Amino acid sequence: MDILQSLLYGFSVAATPINLAYMAFGSVLGTVLGMLPGLGPSTGVALFLPLTYAMRPETALITMCAIYYGAMFGGSRSSILLNIPGDGAAVASCFDGYPMAQKGQAEAALAISAIASFIGGLLSAVAFVALAVPMARFALRFGPPEYFTLMVFALAATAAISKEALLKGMISLLIGLMITTVGIDLQSGVQRFTFGLPELQSGIDFVVVIIGVYGIGEVFKNFETIKAKGAQAIQRKFGRIWISMEQWKRSWIPILRQTPVGFLIGILPGAGGTIAAMMAYNNEKQLSKHPEEFGKGAVEGLAAPEAANNACSIGAMIPMMTLGVPGSGTTAVMLGALLILGLQPGPLLFQHHPDVAWGVIASLFLANVVCAIINIPLAGALVRVLSVPPRILYPLVIVLALLGVYTINYSVMEFHILVLFGLVGYFMKSFKIPTAPLILAVVVGQSMEQSFRQSLMLSDGALSIFVRSPICITLLALAAVSIAWPFVSDMIKRKEPPKPAHAPAAPEE
Amino acid sequence: MRRSILLLLALAVLFVAGAAFASDYPSKPFECIAPAGPGGGWDTTMRMATKVLTEEGLVKSPMPVINKPGGGGGVALAYVQKKAGDPYSLIVYSPPLLLINLTGQTELSYKNVTPIAMLINDYGAFAVPKDSPYQSMTDVIEALKKDPKSVKIGGASSPGSMDHLQILQAAHAAGVSGLKEIAYIPFQGGESLAALLGGHVGVLSTGMAEVVGPLEAGDIRVLAVTSPERIAEGPLAAVPTLKEQGIDTVFINWRGIFGAPDMPQAEKAFMEDALGKMVQTASWDEICKRNGWTKAFMGSSDFATFLEKTNEEYKTLLTEIGLYKQAQ
Repeated sequence: MDILQSLLYGFSVAATPINLAYMAFGSVLGTVLGMLPGLGPSTGVALFLPLTYAMRPETALITMCAIYYGAMFGGSRSSILLNIPGDGAAVASCFDGYPMAQKGQAEAALAISAIASFIGGLLSAVAFVALAVPMARFALRFGPPEYFTLMVFALAATAAISKEALLKGMISLLIGLMITTVGIDLQSGVQRFTFGLPELQSGIDFVVVIIGVYGIGEVFKNFETIKAKGAQAIQRKFGRIWISMEQWKRSWIPILRQTPVGFLIGILPGAGGTIAAMMAYNNEKQLSKHPEEFGKGAVEGLAAPEAANNACSIGAMIPMMTLGVPGSGTTAVMLGALLILGLQPGPLLFQHHPDVAWGVIASLFLANVVCAIINIPLAGALVRVLSVPPRILYPLVIVLALLGVYTINYSVMEFHILVLFGLVGYFMKSFKIPTAPLILAVVVGQSMEQSFRQSLMLSDGALSIFVRSPICITLLALAAVSIAWPFVSDMIKRKEPPKPAHAPAAPEE
Repeated sequence: MRRSILLLLALAVLFVAGAAFASDYPSKPFECIAPAGPGGGWDTTMRMATKVLTEEGLVKSPMPVINKPGGGGGVALAYVQKKAGDPYSLIVYSPPLLLINLTGQTELSYKNVTPIAMLINDYGAFAVPKDSPYQSMTDVIEALKKDPKSVKIGGASSPGSMDHLQILQAAHAAGVSGLKEIAYIPFQGGESLAALLGGHVGVLSTGMAEVVGPLEAGDIRVLAVTSPERIAEGPLAAVPTLKEQGIDTVFINWRGIFGAPDMPQAEKAFMEDALGKMVQTASWDEICKRNGWTKAFMGSSDFATFLEKTNEEYKTLLTEIGLYKQAQ
């Protein structure tokens, strides 16, 4: 067992006191940065970059990985407590995490998110060791048409998440896609909808849209009721950060089945955590026996995306380590760091620097444990944010949001866009238009358009390229099925004799 | 009377401040700008240069690097306009400084920054999948001559930027007509390499640093490098130059340090001198070797002349392919 021996060697590299200390440091830093809106793993890794020059390469990389996982753990804290996702990958954690917190189950929500993240991460680390090379080769079969159809599927599944809101979902989706057309067009260099403002040339950053629609929109929405709700909305008593047996029973299967989804999407260099988490959420909602509870605080609706986004972040390491191709913004920075440290990423890393390669892989396991250990007690402190009265909390949220978006480009333009999207979020909530399709569209829109046009350039304009491979055809079929599914399942249910309404999963109070 | 005293006082303060500026420089922290995100070429160059400058004691003030990404460097270029005359603002640039202007993305150009010194040269490379039918750059050129659309060329920069320009320059020098029709497909960052490894594009036009890893691993073949002479060491040493294959051209990705517009003369001279000393240190040698950069120091006035000349060359090429645009 060559691999096991190498892995053991990896543990001997990663588990030195200095590396463990840096790992803990990275996990804490990542968790904190992940919690703050606008600051995500790539900011964390970039901040840390200058410190790595004097470090040993394996220590540098292990710390960066720890920051990355830490941010994945931390990103959902603010989703759950404040309805502000720390970054794209944590958006899906808002859907049921925030309602859980509103129902007084914040402790359970924080706990399940850490548990799901832990399990998702751990299983993916095992998969990494066993499958890295063949998986990376498989991922290469994804060319522009495959990416395009993957994104079509992701968007279709998200827009069709509920039958009633299909039309509204499509509206939301189209607005999202429109937003992504702002900026310099990568294919032709032409400026679109920039009004001559250099700040708009690189487009509207999706983080601003997320924070605007969720964070600021939430504050605006609550502003209506702030007087009426007054003090009774706040939570004063806090329980232990743990989950009930019932919640575990509902969550473990979703965690196990959405982990591979996240892992697979992570391996694709052009996809990412947001797609992974959204897909996991959609899948669970469609598979669930009680989809009507989704969006109202269903515990599995939080567990699934949490497992998937951590699995995704580990999957994203595969193309970087095995091919030298970065799979996400964060791994791109890590790749740069590797080069600065004088290491050539790619398959030969395992031969030339086995200490680094296997040390990092072993650290995937260790960092997961460290993050889980840090996050459970941390959650106990964080949950108290719910005892802050809204009239103090919301101004703080706005300050945090402004700070967060300013760090994206260090420009005040972001403030204007943020407030604009706050209003958009407010109106969408008022008219019950789902926000998830908009967010996913904003995240994938640009690369979807590019993939579409790259495909057509490859085929000299023939649309048949989108059915050129089994991958494309499968993805398009899945897209069609996910739009049709709500209708089909409805018909099936109608044919069955009406069952006594299934017990609405024992209220937790 | 009172007014004139005030005026005198103000003048005196100005004078003292001005004098202090020149002799004490640098006396406060710099703002060192990388006009793109962390981890890329600009960022690495700036971080490495500031690291050596401060570690060797050539500059005593702190030199923190900040990233101002966006618009292919255009956002940072607009930003430094606000710092005109401020000697504490430094920025790194390379060919896109000229290209974003020539393709009409910004009306600002190399004339809106103060060239201090060119530091390094980097070169481009053309790679194919390992099972590609193309054995040499000549094969690719022949195919392009027969049908410019037959070879799908991938790259990691937008049309009219470096990766695109270097393949066009090679094709142009080899006498390919129909440059406009050559199918150049831009990808983002690492996706271009993935597209090549997966066989989705025929040829990848990119920087040398990007191909070293997969070349070493035997996943790709590199048909040519754009340097004037062969690379001395490493896996690229076996790769012929364009010139060796009868294509008489060189594509240089030069990188240098600039100041804000109207950087004062004395401070500019100081930085030029400091950078000139920096490139002679052993640690800079080591960094260049590690990153595969060719040392290519050029002082302020030579650099300015070089920029002017290079700008005209790019302009000619971009006009030829119809991408030259004057910003409105």
